Amino acid sequence: MAAGSLVLDGPDRPGTPPAAPARGGELVASYRSEPVSFNRHLASRAADDLFSRLTQGRLVRRHRITNEIEPRLAESWALADDGLTYTLALRRNVRFSDGEPFTSADVLFSFRAVYDDATNSQLAGELKIGGAPLDVSAPDDHTVVIRFPSPFGPGLRILDGLPILPRHKLEAALDEGRLREMWGTSTPPSELAGLGPFVLAEYTPGQRLVFARNQNFWARDAAGVQLPYLDRLVVETVPEQNVEMLRLESGQLDLTTDEARPEDVAAFRRAAEAGRLQLVDVGIAIDPNLMWINLRPDLKASDSKRAWLQSEDFRRAISHAVDRDVFVNTVYLGAAEPIFGPVTPSYGIWYTPDLPVYAFDRTRAGSLLNGLGLADATGDGVLEDRSAAPVRFSLITQKGNNVRERSAAVIQDQLRQVGIVVDVVGLDQGAVFQRFSTGDYDAIFFGVDITDPDPALMAEFWLSSGAFHFWNPGQATPATEWEARIDDLMRRHVTSLDLDERRDLFAEAQRILAEHVPVLYFAAPHVYVAVSPRVANATPAVTKPQVLWNAEVLAVKGGG
Amino acid sequence: MTRTFGRLLLVLVTLAAAAAPALAPHAPSRQFPDHLNAPPMRVRLVDAEDRWHAPFVYPWRLVDRLASQYQEDRSRRVPVRWLTGGRLWSADPDAGPLLLLGADRLGRDVFSRLLYGARASVGVALLGTLGALLIGALVGGLAGYAGGLTDDVAMQIADFVLLLPAVYVVLALRAALPLVLDAGDLFLLLTALFAFVGWPMAARGVRAIVATERRREYAEAARSLGAGHARLLLRHLLPAARGFLAVQATLLVPAFILAEATLSFVGLGFGEPTPSWGTMLREAGSNVRDLAVFPWLLSPAAGIVGVALAVHLGTAGRTSTQLIGAARHDR
Amino acid sequence: MIAYAVRRLVFALTLVFLVSSAGLMLVGLAPGDVTDELFATGVSAETIARERARLGLDRPLVEQYAAWLGRVSRLDLGTSLRYQRPVRDLLAERIGFTATLGAAALLLATAIGLPLGVLAGSRRGWLPRIVRATSITVLSVPPLISALLFALLAARTGWFPVSGFTPAPAGAGWLAAASNLAWHLTLPTLALALPFAATIERLQADATVSALGEPHILAARGRGMSDARLVWRHSLKPALRPVAAIYGIVIGTLFSGSFAVEFVSGWPGLGRLMYDALTSRDIYLAAGCAAAGSLFLAVGTIVSDVALASLDPRLRRQSS
Repeated sequence: MAAGSLVLDGPDRPGTPPAAPARGGELVASYRSEPVSFNRHLASRAADDLFSRLTQGRLVRRHRITNEIEPRLAESWALADDGLTYTLALRRNVRFSDGEPFTSADVLFSFRAVYDDATNSQLAGELKIGGAPLDVSAPDDHTVVIRFPSPFGPGLRILDGLPILPRHKLEAALDEGRLREMWGTSTPPSELAGLGPFVLAEYTPGQRLVFARNQNFWARDAAGVQLPYLDRLVVETVPEQNVEMLRLESGQLDLTTDEARPEDVAAFRRAAEAGRLQLVDVGIAIDPNLMWINLRPDLKASDSKRAWLQSEDFRRAISHAVDRDVFVNTVYLGAAEPIFGPVTPSYGIWYTPDLPVYAFDRTRAGSLLNGLGLADATGDGVLEDRSAAPVRFSLITQKGNNVRERSAAVIQDQLRQVGIVVDVVGLDQGAVFQRFSTGDYDAIFFGVDITDPDPALMAEFWLSSGAFHFWNPGQATPATEWEARIDDLMRRHVTSLDLDERRDLFAEAQRILAEHVPVLYFAAPHVYVAVSPRVANATPAVTKPQVLWNAEVLAVKGGG
Repeated sequence: MTRTFGRLLLVLVTLAAAAAPALAPHAPSRQFPDHLNAPPMRVRLVDAEDRWHAPFVYPWRLVDRLASQYQEDRSRRVPVRWLTGGRLWSADPDAGPLLLLGADRLGRDVFSRLLYGARASVGVALLGTLGALLIGALVGGLAGYAGGLTDDVAMQIADFVLLLPAVYVVLALRAALPLVLDAGDLFLLLTALFAFVGWPMAARGVRAIVATERRREYAEAARSLGAGHARLLLRHLLPAARGFLAVQATLLVPAFILAEATLSFVGLGFGEPTPSWGTMLREAGSNVRDLAVFPWLLSPAAGIVGVALAVHLGTAGRTSTQLIGAARHDR
Repeated sequence: MIAYAVRRLVFALTLVFLVSSAGLMLVGLAPGDVTDELFATGVSAETIARERARLGLDRPLVEQYAAWLGRVSRLDLGTSLRYQRPVRDLLAERIGFTATLGAAALLLATAIGLPLGVLAGSRRGWLPRIVRATSITVLSVPPLISALLFALLAARTGWFPVSGFTPAPAGAGWLAAASNLAWHLTLPTLALALPFAATIERLQADATVSALGEPHILAARGRGMSDARLVWRHSLKPALRPVAAIYGIVIGTLFSGSFAVEFVSGWPGLGRLMYDALTSRDIYLAAGCAAAGSLFLAVGTIVSDVALASLDPRLRRQSS
């Protein structure tokens, strides 16, 4: 099982070099749910993002394996000495799928759409720096000048999320404040135009989307062959994951947009040995699930409960009490790595090994708990606090998500063995969010999707004022001195343009987080991607969409 | 004869459920990390060398964790321990678990969970069915008897309750309830919910039967003899719906056990660590390939069949055999 | 008779209205709203706040309901909060599929359940016992699991598609289109129909036993009439009454119960739409789905009441 940048090429006689991908053919992919809108500004779920990436172009793209940005519609760029102004040279002789020429005016329009108040784009947040928009201008048809309001470490990486939309199709609507009404899922495909490798040929609600080659796509491979290789890409809607895996195994699908579950891996391995599938271990996930305790000052609990629940020693004790090997074996059948923090080895340069952690040590856990005044006075195997109430808290997790439910069950079982009673409450997603935003909970076990490992793009998690600072979001001033220190480090990290400096600052922030454990991590799964033997030239990555992120270079083995 | 058998079976199930803490070899939430999806163990008396021992099992040795494959470890025996720690039979936890029906995806003993789960599932289903039938019989009986506006209104309410997607109701209900529900409160709540959801179908059928019976000669005769409405309804008309209600019971009991799993999907169900047959099945269904390879995960379905069968046999009216036989004798 | 039909129709419409109102209110009362899922996709807090204001979600639920009432009175079902498209369009895209699956399952369930029930109720020996045991077993397996097992069977044998629906190629002719539909429809229909067939069988068996126990039947038997004649000529009509009485409910629950099957088999019907509406708290879509579901049942109960009246002349006199 090879890792990372393996190019999948279908069963081949060993020793033969991979043939150049043949042009033509059709692949069938599956999606668990379909796009809610074709207008990326109105919808941000995985399906909507995939649609956008297949049909719309971007100025630059983050290579999902190297994590470097590569030129797309922007051929080259330069950063001025002020550290704020980028000048991008746009590719010439590029046309939209409907034949209209692509110019810098389209780029300006695309930025306008993002920042437009009437549109209330869901992309606005990630394209604003410190709440301020980028200043974009176009001195000529093929040059764009972007001025950042403040120094920004990740730089042009954020442009990976900006779809370049056709001005000629949408500007009138934007001018009238009607951009929101455009490009809903009832839009006829002929009305859509884009710079992406594919165009939408057909949409059947609830069933599938059919994408056809964009005859005007600008990119060519090293031999000068025009991309994409595929004639057609069909994306079927398969709501149930079991069924998705069955169809993949039986050859009715070529690839899925979900990674294989641990219990599927054994069967897939057997299928791969029989030549019916290609299976790759792409690496460790970058968005592992986490558990956090409500550290907000408005936590609804008795004083004695608050005293131990919100104490740092309690969190350390939990980290000591949970045997992460058992966690890995039980939840992921062994196909995961024990972790203690949010940054996994797949983060590349940002990963800091050898951070001090609170490893499995039940004795240490016990003494920390005793130090908090928690002891089993009644001899029933459950600890009691100073007011003789049992040490018991509720852990909310997402109902219907097997991994999260199992993880919560393991945590419950492990903590029971040191005398802590955990009530696992499974709620549906909306209810979980609600409790989180109102602060009406003890602890939550959850996870969010992360697509770019650059820590500056996750500032909302690290900064105490951030919305994703799960344990105590949106603080006006940092509640603890260590959160203040992290704030300072991260602010410098975000505004620095020196990669080494950024790495050191971030490493220090990780160290502080590891010491004070406001969030608890237990395991990060291996990501397995399975595709049919027909798929050639795929470079699966750890983040979604694992195979379709560079759909233009996918091909069918033998030409389809 | 069949009726006695059915009732006996129900009593046995109830007793087994009530005695779960004694009959189950392990705590239902106890996870055995090296026994995920382990197959059932056979209790033996004779070992590989044909020597007799007190009942024992061979432990499972993990061969492939990712594929959940096991091999019997014939090198050591794990004797069954009797009457230890309040349990009728168990095994020394250090030597190995006693998995009579194998283990589930989290390595928990399926047999123990089946027993403990019976308390929650069978209890809620039986009581909920009883409630649904009582309400349905009353409402349907009144509607069929009174006719006219009462009938219309009652059936409208029945239809409304029937149409209301139960999941919507539960979702709203969950918001109003405290986060952590005491198992006892949850039990009562689910019973009430099932009675509320289950009565319309019973009501409709009873209403049709009562409306028909009302016009029979014996009913007219009873009226003319001065029988009051209540007496007529309760003593003469409703009993005609006995057969229908019995069938309803057979239909409702398994449906309620399964419904609990659907309700738990939006947060109103028995949570960890309380097991229930419905959620055991739902967990089993999370990977369909597992069902083919680890069929013991479907044992709650067998349990549900057993209970439904028991209810059916226990409430059976005259069987066609008896009727036809009776007719033959009448000459 | 006309007055009766009109009254039933009015009641049915009222019912649909009440149920969709309840659907809206209940989902509205549940914690969270449609903007919550934006949180997990990394949308900024201020965008979410502006979206909530734009969708009117910061108004009290009663106000939103009143606005919805106003639209409904103009036969406008509103705009789905999640899809930003008219609810009517979303329903129209899927309702045909649910109706097809429901109708096929209903036919199959009745075709299997009724005759088997009559047989089980009128015979003795091993046949009724096997039928009974099979019915009870079928009723004890959740439709979700049976649908999954069918999918597994399809994957292993390749006889049927595992999930989804691929239409016949354009211009293939109606026979090809029909057989394509049937091929895709088989497994979902089976998964949906079997528990209902078992339900109908159980009810019909009991009804047949009761009907055969009627005095006039016993008398006819005493006169020497054959079993077959007794069962099929003389007691069938009364035996069908109890099932007819609840047939409307069967129709209704079948259509609303098709959700789990649709989910697993990827059948592009209302089921998935309703599930999404519920989990994303899209109150207008939820109300629309509830209305669609209740419409099926409303039609079904009318059908069943008419069927019952035709089977029992005494009821006709009572209700007119």
